[in-house]
Amino acid sequence: MVNPIYLFVIALAAGFLLSLIDKAGRSAALTVFYAALAAMAGISAQAFIAILGGAESAMIFTAGFKPPFSINLQMGLEESFFTMIVNVLGLLSGIYLVKKLKTEKVYALVLYLMMIMGLNGLIMTRDLFNLFVFLEITSIATYSLIGIERNIRSLSAGFKYMIAGGLASMFFLIGTIYLYRFTGVLHLDSMAEALDLASGPAVVLAVFTLLISVLIELKPFPANGWALDVYEAADDGLVAVIASASSAAMLFVLYKITPLLNGTLLLAVAGIGLTTFVLSNLMGLMQHSPKRLLGYSSIGQIGLIMGVYALLVHSGAASEPMTLLLVAGGLFINHFIAKAGLFWLAGLVGKDSLEGWHVLRKKPVLVFMFGVFILALVGLPPFPGFFAKWQLVMVFSEKGLTLATVLVLLGSFLEAAYLFRWLGKVLKTEGEGEVKTSFAQGLPLTLSALALIGLGAGFSLWIPGGSGLKILYLPMLLAAALFLLDFLPAWVKNTLVILLMSLYAWQLLPGLEGYRFLFGIIFLAGGVLLLIPGYAFKGKRRGFYPFAVMMYAGLAALLISESTLQLFAAWEIMTLGSYFLIIRGKRSEPHALSYMLFSIGGAFVMLMGLGLLYGVNGQSLALTSLETLTQSAGVIFLLIMLGFLTKIASMGLHIWLPGAHGEAETDVSPMVSAILLKAGMFGLIVLMSAIRRPMIGNVDITYWMSWLGAITVFLGNLLAIYQEDAKRLLAYSSVGNLGYVLFGLSMMTHMGWLTSIAFALNHFLFKALLFLAIGGVVMRVKTKNMYEMGGLIKRMPVSFISVLIGIIALSGVPPLSGYAGKWLTFNILLEKGWYLQGLVLIIGGLIAFLYCFRLIYAVFLGQLKDNHRRVKEAPLPVLIPQIILMIAIMFFSAYPGLVLHPVGDFLLKYFPQGAISWQNNTALTAYGHWDGLAVLIITGVMFASVFALLLITNRKAQKVGQFNIVYAAERPSRPELTHVGYNFFAHYRKALGIFSRPFAVKFWDGVSEFAHSAADLFRKIYSGNGQTYLVHIILFVVVVYAFVTGG
Amino acid sequence: MIKKYAVLLLLGAFALMLLPFVTEVTPFEELSPVAQKYVKDGPDELGSANLVSSVIVTYRGLDTLGEVAVLFIAAAGVGFMLRRRGDAKKPVKREASGILRSGTVFLFPLVLLYGIYIFLHGHLTPGGGFQGGVVIASGIVLLLLAGVSAKISGTVLHWIESLSGAVYVALGVLGIVLAAGFLDNRILPAGEFGRLLSAGAIPLIYSLIGLKVGAELVGIIDAMQKDEL
Amino acid sequence: MTLITILGFILIVIGIWGMLSQSNIIKIIIGFSIVDTGIHLVMVSIGYLKDRTAPILDETVGKAEALARVVDPVPSALVLTAIVIGLAVTALMLAYAVKLHEMKGSLDIHDLKELKW
Repeated sequence: MVNPIYLFVIALAAGFLLSLIDKAGRSAALTVFYAALAAMAGISAQAFIAILGGAESAMIFTAGFKPPFSINLQMGLEESFFTMIVNVLGLLSGIYLVKKLKTEKVYALVLYLMMIMGLNGLIMTRDLFNLFVFLEITSIATYSLIGIERNIRSLSAGFKYMIAGGLASMFFLIGTIYLYRFTGVLHLDSMAEALDLASGPAVVLAVFTLLISVLIELKPFPANGWALDVYEAADDGLVAVIASASSAAMLFVLYKITPLLNGTLLLAVAGIGLTTFVLSNLMGLMQHSPKRLLGYSSIGQIGLIMGVYALLVHSGAASEPMTLLLVAGGLFINHFIAKAGLFWLAGLVGKDSLEGWHVLRKKPVLVFMFGVFILALVGLPPFPGFFAKWQLVMVFSEKGLTLATVLVLLGSFLEAAYLFRWLGKVLKTEGEGEVKTSFAQGLPLTLSALALIGLGAGFSLWIPGGSGLKILYLPMLLAAALFLLDFLPAWVKNTLVILLMSLYAWQLLPGLEGYRFLFGIIFLAGGVLLLIPGYAFKGKRRGFYPFAVMMYAGLAALLISESTLQLFAAWEIMTLGSYFLIIRGKRSEPHALSYMLFSIGGAFVMLMGLGLLYGVNGQSLALTSLETLTQSAGVIFLLIMLGFLTKIASMGLHIWLPGAHGEAETDVSPMVSAILLKAGMFGLIVLMSAIRRPMIGNVDITYWMSWLGAITVFLGNLLAIYQEDAKRLLAYSSVGNLGYVLFGLSMMTHMGWLTSIAFALNHFLFKALLFLAIGGVVMRVKTKNMYEMGGLIKRMPVSFISVLIGIIALSGVPPLSGYAGKWLTFNILLEKGWYLQGLVLIIGGLIAFLYCFRLIYAVFLGQLKDNHRRVKEAPLPVLIPQIILMIAIMFFSAYPGLVLHPVGDFLLKYFPQGAISWQNNTALTAYGHWDGLAVLIITGVMFASVFALLLITNRKAQKVGQFNIVYAAERPSRPELTHVGYNFFAHYRKALGIFSRPFAVKFWDGVSEFAHSAADLFRKIYSGNGQTYLVHIILFVVVVYAFVTGG
Repeated sequence: MIKKYAVLLLLGAFALMLLPFVTEVTPFEELSPVAQKYVKDGPDELGSANLVSSVIVTYRGLDTLGEVAVLFIAAAGVGFMLRRRGDAKKPVKREASGILRSGTVFLFPLVLLYGIYIFLHGHLTPGGGFQGGVVIASGIVLLLLAGVSAKISGTVLHWIESLSGAVYVALGVLGIVLAAGFLDNRILPAGEFGRLLSAGAIPLIYSLIGLKVGAELVGIIDAMQKDEL
Repeated sequence: MTLITILGFILIVIGIWGMLSQSNIIKIIIGFSIVDTGIHLVMVSIGYLKDRTAPILDETVGKAEALARVVDPVPSALVLTAIVIGLAVTALMLAYAVKLHEMKGSLDIHDLKELKW
C-alpha cells in the first residue's frame, strides 16, 4: 500500500504549483490537475483493494509521534472506501467540468483540487481539531467555487452558505475546545475513552455543540434553506461533488464522532434525520425546478441515511458490521451515485423546469440512464437501494422500531411520487430540442449508471437470503440483453422473446403443482399468447420488450418464490416492468403514475407486513413461516393483504385501474388486465392458504373481505355501464370481476376457493379476448368512444364473434364458462349463508348485463359510420390469439371438470371438507349438479333453433337505408347525440347516482391535495432570506438542545 | 419589531443554553496529559524554546499545513471571485498625503525586517511564520496606501507563494524519509537549545510559512483594492 | 470560569445578535468576526492556568520548572490556526460582499431572495 499521506502531498504540491504551471499553458495545468486527481483516486483505490485483500489498515503518525501527542490519520477499510469513492467522483466530476475548467482562471483548478483534498482529510483524520481544519479547507474551497457561475443567484446562494457554514464552524470550535478541557486530548479515540469518565451538564453540552455542528453540515430540517439554494444555483459538476462527495465525507465525520454520543443524542440524530427525510420529500412535491427538486431529494436522503445509521447504532444492530454495511451503506452508496448522476444530467439538459427534460428523449441512452438513476433513488430492484430498504425494514422490525419504519416508508413514498412524475414527463412529453453530449460528460454518466447496476447485483448477493434471487438472474439477463438489442426490428425481438419464454415455461411449468401450475399457465402460456399481437406493430417498438420480459420475469418468479424476499423482489420487478408497459399508451402518463404510486404504496404496506413477520417469527425469511405464526397474525395478514388488494384494484384502491388499462396499447391492455391482475390474486392465495383465520382482536378479516368483494363487484360493474370509452368499460368491468375473486377467497371454504379460481381462469380468458378484440377495433377506427363506432359487424366479423363470445362468458349466462362461476357462486352463498353480501353480489352481476350488451350493440350493430366504410378487419396477429382464446373458452365451458377437478383435489390440502364431487364431467354439490357439456349442447340447440326460426320468418324483412331514421322530437345538437348508444344509461345515473359518485377518486385527490398544500405550507419557511436561515439554525440548535436535556 | 423581540428571545434562550460552559466548568488545575508531554519532552525532543511553536510546527504540523492551505485557498478564492474584467475602469484614487508617503518610505524596510525577525525567531520568542507574514503584509499594505509603488509584481508574488508552499510540502515528505514521519522537524539537527540555528527545521518551515502567508495576504489585499467599489 | 471566558461568550452572543438582526451584509460579516473573536477568547481562556506564564522557555522559566510554571500550549496553538482560518473566511465573505454589491447594487441581505421555497 502506498503511504496514504501522499494523497495530501500530491494534492497540496499540485495545488501550490498549479498557478506556476499554468504559465506554461492551460493544457499543462490541466494535465497536472487530472494526474493529481487520478493519482489520488488510484492511491485510495489501491489501499481499499489491499485492505480488502487482508492488508493491515494504515496508521499515519505525523511528525513521528504516537497519538494523542500528534495528529494521526487512519486508512482502514472504511476510510479507504470513502476516500476512494470521493476521489473517483472528484475525478469524474472534474472530467465532466473540463470545458469550464479550460476557460476559467487557474484558481478554479486549484480550488477544486483543494476541495477534494479537504474531503480526504475529513475522512482520514483522527484528530478533532484537525477535522475542523479540513472542514474549513473543504468549505472555503466550496464557497469560492460556487462563484464559478457568474450570476447573482449563485453568489447569493454562496453567501448564505458562508454565513450558515460560519455558524456551524463556531459550534464545532466551541465543542472541540471544551472537549479538550474535559478530556485533555484532541485525538478522537483517546477522547472517547476519556469521556466515559467525565460527566455533567457541561460535558453533555460540549458533545452536543460538536454534534450539532456536524448535523448542520448535514442539512437538517429546518436549518437547511441555504443548502437548497446552493443545490439550485451552483454549477452542476460542482453540485454533484457537494451533494454526493461532501455529504459522504460529512456522514463519515458523523460516523467518526459516534463513540462520543450517548443514547439520547443518537435518538436526537435519528429523529432529526427521519423528520428531515419525510418533510423534505414532502416539500419536493411542489418543486418544478429540477435542481431544487434534486436538492430536496438530497437533503432528504442524507437525513434518511443519518437517521437510519443513528438508529442502527442505538438499537445495537450496528454491532453487526454486515447489517450496517447493507442498510446504511446500501442507502448511502445508492444515493451517492444516483444523485451525482442526476446532477450531471441536469447539467446536460440545462433546463430550469421539469417540463423541459423531454429533450432527453432523442437519446435513448440518456433516457435509460435517467431511468436508472430515478429507479435507484426510489429504491426499486435491481438497484442497491432496494436491497438496503428491504434489509432496513427487516432489521428495524426485528428491533421493534415500527415508527421509524413507517417514517422511512412514508418518506420513500413521497420521494417516489415526485420522481415518477418526473420520469413520466420525460417519457411522454412531446417537444423540440435535443441534448448535446461530449465524451467528457458522457463518461461519468455511463460509469455511474453501470456502477449502480453492478452494485445492485452485488447487494442482491450479499443480503441474507439473497441467494434465492437467483431465480431472477436469467430473465433479468434477457431483459438486459434486450436493452442492447433494442435496435432490432420488433418482429425479430418478438420472435426471440416468444421462443425464450416458451422455453422457459417448458422448463418451469412441469415443476409446479396445484394452483401454482394453473397460475403458471395463465402467466406464461398466457404471456406467450398475448405476445403474438406484437407482430402487428411495425418498426422497432423501442423499450417494449425489455420491460415485457421484466414483467413476466417477476410473474414467473412469484410462482416459485419460497422466501419473502423472493416474493417481494419478484413483486417489485413485475410492477416496474408493467409500469413501463402501461406508460407506452398515448395518454397514459397520469394513469401510469397513479398505477405506480398505488403499487408502491401497496408494496410498502406489504413490506411492513413482511418485516413484522420477520420480526415476530424468529427472523425467518421462509414463506412457510406464515403458517406457524403465533402472534400478530391478524396484523401481518392485513398489511400483506393490502399490498395485494392494490394490485387487484379492490374498491377504494381501484382508481388507477381504468386509466391504466384503458389507455394502454392494444396488446398491453390484455396483458395487464388478463394476466397481471392475477398476480394480486396469486398473492392472496399464498397468504390466505397460510393464515386461515386472520383475526384482529375479535374481528375476522375475511368477513370484511367478503363485503369488500361484494361492494367491488357492485360498484365496479355500475361504473362500467356509464363508460363511453370501450376500453375503460372493460377496465371497470375488471374491477368488478376481481371482486368476485376476492369474495370467493374470503369464503375460506373449499368451494369458495374453487369458485374464485374458476372466476380467475375465466376472467383471464374472456378479458384477454375482449381487450384484444376491442383493441383491434380501436386500432382500425382510431377511437375508443363507442358512440363514434357502430355497424362494424360487417367490416370486422371475427372481432364481432370474439366480443360476442367474450361477453357471454363474462356475463355468466349459459352456456359458456362464466356460468360455471355463477353456478358455483350460488352454491357457496347457500353454503356459507352470507345472504346480504350475496344480494349485493347478484345485483352487481345483473348490472354486468347492462354494459356487456353495449359492446355488441354500440360497436358492431346499428349504422356504420361514413368514415368507417373502408375499415379492415383487425390485423391477423391480433386475431390469432382471439381464435385460440375462443377455443379455450369453449373447451373450458364444455369440460370445466378437467381443470376444476384437479384444482379441487389440490385444495383439499387446505380445506379437507366441502369439496365438490365429480362424476365424469358432472359436478355434484349439496345443492345440485351441473354438467358443462350438457349445458353447452342444450343451449346451443336452443340458440340454433331460434336462429333458424328467425331466418325463416324474417325473409321478408326490409333493409333500412343509412339515413332512414326518425328522431322522436329530439334535435341532436352534438354529433354524438345522433348515436343512440351515447350516454345510454343516463337514467340509471339519475337513479343510482349516489353509488356512482367518485368517492374514491375524491378521497385520493383529497389526500394528494392535502399533501401538496402541506408541502407548500412547509416550504414557505425557506423565504430566501439568508438571515432567516440563520434564525432557523439557532432555533434548531436551541430546540434540539431542549429536547436532548429534557427541558 | 416583533421579529426583533423574537430574535432577542431566541438569543436569550441560546445564551441560557451556553450557560453551563461558564458555570459548570472550572479552569485546568494542571496541564492536560498532552500538554504535559509537550512541556516535559518538547524542548529535548524538538529543541524549540517556544513550546507553542513546537506544537504548531511539529506536533500539530498537519494543522499548520492545513492552515497554510486554508489561507492559500482563501487567496485563490478571493482572486477567483474578484476577477477583473478587461474593460473595467481603474478606480480613481486620492493622492496620499506627504506624511504618509515619507513615513512609509522610512518605515517599510523596518517593518519588513521586523517581520523577517519574527518568523526567524519563532522557535525562541513569541511569534512565528503567520505573525511574521502578517507583519510583512502590513508593510506592503502601507506601500499600497501611500501609493509609493501601487503595482506589485504579481509574478514575484506567485513564485514566492507557489514555491514556498511546495518546498514546505517537500520538507514534510523529507520528514518521512529522514525522520520519523510526515512534517517531522528533526530532519535537521536540533542544534544548541535557545540558539537561532536550532530546533531542527522549525525556523526553516516558519520562514517558508512567513513568506507564503505574506504573499497570500498581499494577494488578497491586492485583489480587493484593485477592484472598484 | 474566568472572566475572559465570560467575555468571550458575551462577544459570541453579541456577534450572533448582529448576524441575526443587521440587514447590511458588511455588518453581518462584522457580526461574524465578533463571534469569531469571542470564540478565540474562549479558546485561549480554556488553556489558561492561574498564575502561570507563557509556554516559552528562557532564562526565567527553565526546562526543569516548566511543568509547574507555564500555561497549556495546545489552546494557544489551536487559536492561532483558528484565527487564520477566521481571517480566510472573513476575507472570502468580503469578496462575496464586493461581488454582490457590484452585481446587485445593494448590500441588503433581504434583497438576496432570488431563490426560495
